[in-house]
Amino acid sequence: MIEFSEEAKRRYESILSHYPQKRAALIPVLALAQREFGWISDEVAEYVGTLMGYPPSDVMSVATFYTLLHKKPEGKYHMEVCRNLSCWLMGAYGCVDEIKNRLGIDIGGKTPDGRFSLQLTECLGSCGTAPAMQVGDRYYENLTPAKIGEIIEKLSHD
Amino acid sequence: MPKVTINGQELEVEAGKTVIQAALEAGIDVPHYCYHPDLPVDGNCRMCLVDVEKMPKLTPSCTTVVSEGMVVRTDNDRVKTAVRGVLEFLLINHPVDCPVCDQAGECRLQDYYMVYGLHTSEIPLSMKVRKRKVIDLGPMVVLDQERCVLCSRCIRFFDHVTKTGEMQFFGRGDHVAIGTFEDQPLENPYSGNVVDICPVGALTSRDFRFKCRVWFLHSTDSVCGGCSTGCSMRIDHRDGTIFRLLPRRNAEVNRSWLCDEGRISFHELMAGERVVRPLVKGRDGLQAPVTWDDAVRSINSALKDTADKHGPESILGFASPSATNEALYLFRQYLSGQFGASRFEFRSGSEDSKVTAQEDDVLRHVDKHPNTMGALNLGLASEELGGIGGAIAAARSGRIKAGVVMYFKPLVPRPGDEEAEARVAELVRSLEYSVVLAPHRADWLSDASVVLPVAAWSEEEGTYTNFQGRVQFAGKAINPGGDIQPVWEVFANLLYASGDNALWLSVDDVFGRLSETVPGYKGVLLAEAKTVGALPTP
Amino acid sequence: MTKIHLVNIDKPGQASLETYRAGGGYKALEKAMKMEQSAIVEEVKTSGLRGRGGAGFPTGMKWGFVPRDTGKPTYLLCNADESEPGTFKDRILMERDPHLLIEGMAIACYALNCHLSYIYIRGEYEFVANTVQKALDEAYADGILGPSVVGNDYGLDIFVHLGQGAYICGEETSLIESLEGYRGYPRIKPPFPATHGFLASPTVVNNVETLTALPWIINNGGAAHAALGTEKSKGTKLFSVSGHVNKPGVYEIVMGYPLLDFINNEAGGIPNGRKLKAVIPGGSSVPVLTAAECEGVGLDYESLLKAGSMLGSGGMIVLDDSCRMPEVLSVIADFYAHESCGQCTPCREGTGWAAKILRNLVAGKGRKADIDLLLKIADMMEGKTICPLADADVMPIRSFVTKFRSEFEALCEG
Repeated sequence: MIEFSEEAKRRYESILSHYPQKRAALIPVLALAQREFGWISDEVAEYVGTLMGYPPSDVMSVATFYTLLHKKPEGKYHMEVCRNLSCWLMGAYGCVDEIKNRLGIDIGGKTPDGRFSLQLTECLGSCGTAPAMQVGDRYYENLTPAKIGEIIEKLSHD
Repeated sequence: MPKVTINGQELEVEAGKTVIQAALEAGIDVPHYCYHPDLPVDGNCRMCLVDVEKMPKLTPSCTTVVSEGMVVRTDNDRVKTAVRGVLEFLLINHPVDCPVCDQAGECRLQDYYMVYGLHTSEIPLSMKVRKRKVIDLGPMVVLDQERCVLCSRCIRFFDHVTKTGEMQFFGRGDHVAIGTFEDQPLENPYSGNVVDICPVGALTSRDFRFKCRVWFLHSTDSVCGGCSTGCSMRIDHRDGTIFRLLPRRNAEVNRSWLCDEGRISFHELMAGERVVRPLVKGRDGLQAPVTWDDAVRSINSALKDTADKHGPESILGFASPSATNEALYLFRQYLSGQFGASRFEFRSGSEDSKVTAQEDDVLRHVDKHPNTMGALNLGLASEELGGIGGAIAAARSGRIKAGVVMYFKPLVPRPGDEEAEARVAELVRSLEYSVVLAPHRADWLSDASVVLPVAAWSEEEGTYTNFQGRVQFAGKAINPGGDIQPVWEVFANLLYASGDNALWLSVDDVFGRLSETVPGYKGVLLAEAKTVGALPTP
Repeated sequence: MTKIHLVNIDKPGQASLETYRAGGGYKALEKAMKMEQSAIVEEVKTSGLRGRGGAGFPTGMKWGFVPRDTGKPTYLLCNADESEPGTFKDRILMERDPHLLIEGMAIACYALNCHLSYIYIRGEYEFVANTVQKALDEAYADGILGPSVVGNDYGLDIFVHLGQGAYICGEETSLIESLEGYRGYPRIKPPFPATHGFLASPTVVNNVETLTALPWIINNGGAAHAALGTEKSKGTKLFSVSGHVNKPGVYEIVMGYPLLDFINNEAGGIPNGRKLKAVIPGGSSVPVLTAAECEGVGLDYESLLKAGSMLGSGGMIVLDDSCRMPEVLSVIADFYAHESCGQCTPCREGTGWAAKILRNLVAGKGRKADIDLLLKIADMMEGKTICPLADADVMPIRSFVTKFRSEFEALCEG
């Protein structure tokens, strides 16, 4: 059985207090659960459902709608490269190839040590600083293959 | 009431109704998948688009409320092109596996394709979105995600009718699929309904699928025999076998729903071994088959003897709350009219107190008999006896000598059924002379003086009175064969043979008399009872 | 050029309350709190301000639809779900001048008699949301927000709500569904959010840029705002420009400013000596304009509409003559297919199908007939869906295919 940490429980109560109805807290609570448990597994959906009083089917239905809620465990550094127009124009796929080559993984893949995973993503709102990539809650912008190399190098030793 | 014009036809429509409701009620067909009269409107399928004057875009008729002077076209080229487009969209990712799909013949994709589509597919197989097939969702339902049009009827059913929320959408865009959490089985007592409301072959009946192509089936309108709710239903049958039971929409009783137990109740019926010939106990104490004429003669003479010898109060009529009103009426008429009998009872449990008790807040009632209210209306509950216990005591003490007893096995089993049956058996054993009318064999029947083979539910037409007092007609779907007779006819024959001068030729005759003479049926027309049922005029 | 939104955007420390205050911040809120609520609504109507999220609906009129006597609370929701490809203006505003947004929201809330408000920020912008949260904390600590807004007998709470990755949640009814904790399925209208929005209560959804115009309007008057721009497009507009330009970024121009001047001056022109081929002026969902079509076009609602495109969100993407248009369209179509919520048939099926046809074409595996099929799919989707997402796919498909048809045909000849 999984359970929120004490800190997450406090966070949970605080989230609930933001809304006049409990249901509105569901998506922020799922984000909190992902932070706690890494991804939204069936077990996590059941836990959140039980905690908040919704059937797990309902919780999972919501979770599968939102791309930031992961339905499989991603790497510690989940590299999401924007594939949309401005990033594409400015060479996003060159950066993607660099990641693939350096890490030996494909799009949707994860390194065997679980450190890195790679995914394409839609417009990050970094069109003026394209190409861009999101890793966790951080943006890397004005990317070049060389810069990708530096980032991977740095994150490999974190 | 707003006046609207649909396809040139002027209609007066109740305020607040939607265009699709107005059209369908006026017999104008509007294609649709997601709209369902007993579910909240969702507006997702976009098949019911119509052209409303002064609206720039086509609008879904299911979300558009009528307003005074509204002019609607459902049949112009603009609408037809749009509907055809929506249908083409629905078919691009559909597997088009009609030859192996159990929905074939009652599939809205097939039907609308014939009316609006008839197009050639422009999508290569390699481009189709693949989803999961043959997912087992419990005892009632099998899911094929590829055939689904994502109309959300099943989701809305579980969200709004049973309020249990088992089925949901998962994913996004053209990868959205319906399902349950971790493919968990649907263990909800109403899950079979989603098969009915699924307009395509995505949800098929675990019980019915691959048993028979639907175009071979015959349908008979009926009323569920499973409890006192009296859900309107349809019996689909072929060659004397019931294949499935489906709800018939009745806004006053069951809307479009049926519980799973009622839905599969026919299996119980078809499973039991039948009584096929009248049996009369000889001097040797053994029952032997006789003709109906002989059985009728022997019953009439035995009951006459009893009445003559011990007085009319020595005769008991023990009815069943599963028999039709017409059967119960002639039963009472026979015993009281011919022999002066006045002791009647029908309660082997506490049916009268359960008849209006809800088992849940969707449909089901605690009383598992379809006609307890009818038996009460006919005065078949005796204050003096107070149920079968009193009847047994009276028989044992010799106050009651002879009895005519009906026994029908409940179609929807509950704990306590065996005990109730044992009490009927005990009653029969306690009587010096007993006539038992029963469709199914049972060991204790050997104690009866006479056993009469009678029709079971679905084999006899007649009316039932539900918990509301609503009188509903059930047609005869199955011909039981053998020497089996409908219960009303048994008593019609007994009456005729014992010299009654009324001639009972049909259920209509009996019902006519019933509605004239019995409170609870006043002003009720059989024609009404054949649709949504009728309540008596107060 | 007059600036309304970006006046202090480059000032160091502008995100802090101290700097914001030093530059005259929250004066407009103090002034507004002394005004009648209805007078603020009137001032906004006078200003001619139109919604900056993309639809361009007059803000004052939108506010005017909110019933005042329902007995239910009224909600103001700030739409910061900025996700339209090419658009990054709201991000800059929130990152660098979050108090401007808070002040604008507080003014709007007071005008609408709203006491509880949310900023719905796309989840990817978590680091931006952290900046906004810090500013909110400062505002609470300073008594700007909370039980007595800048010392008045008026309570207001504002919370940040993070989305979790769904473009569709920028559509206002979808945003409301999502905020309520459901899949972001757009709602059927009517009823409109003005009467049945968040928790079935009267609700106004306004974009970040719309709300950040309010302090200026209160300080300078609606008439001063209405004096800027063209006849029907008032005030200034933020354009976020990206793609093939030397100086991508967010710029504020007065409505009506010439498009080509904007590209050549503000955005620094086309790099590498290349020539302009086409412009997507308002986010990837608006029709593309060829270089020739850009001649003489002003950056305002009417002028862009007349040219065959739209102002949209002001997310301008510039394409030089190295671009292969079928590939560009394929990238755009993939986006709408990925972001279609899947609720209603034409969008769910049409966006996916069009995207696959385009991928096939770009891969050299297409048929000539696919080109007309794309146009047919556009017709089959257009105007038949619950929300405008399908139309957002239709507009690029139709404009790219008709304006650059020969490039599509060339792909089918091999």
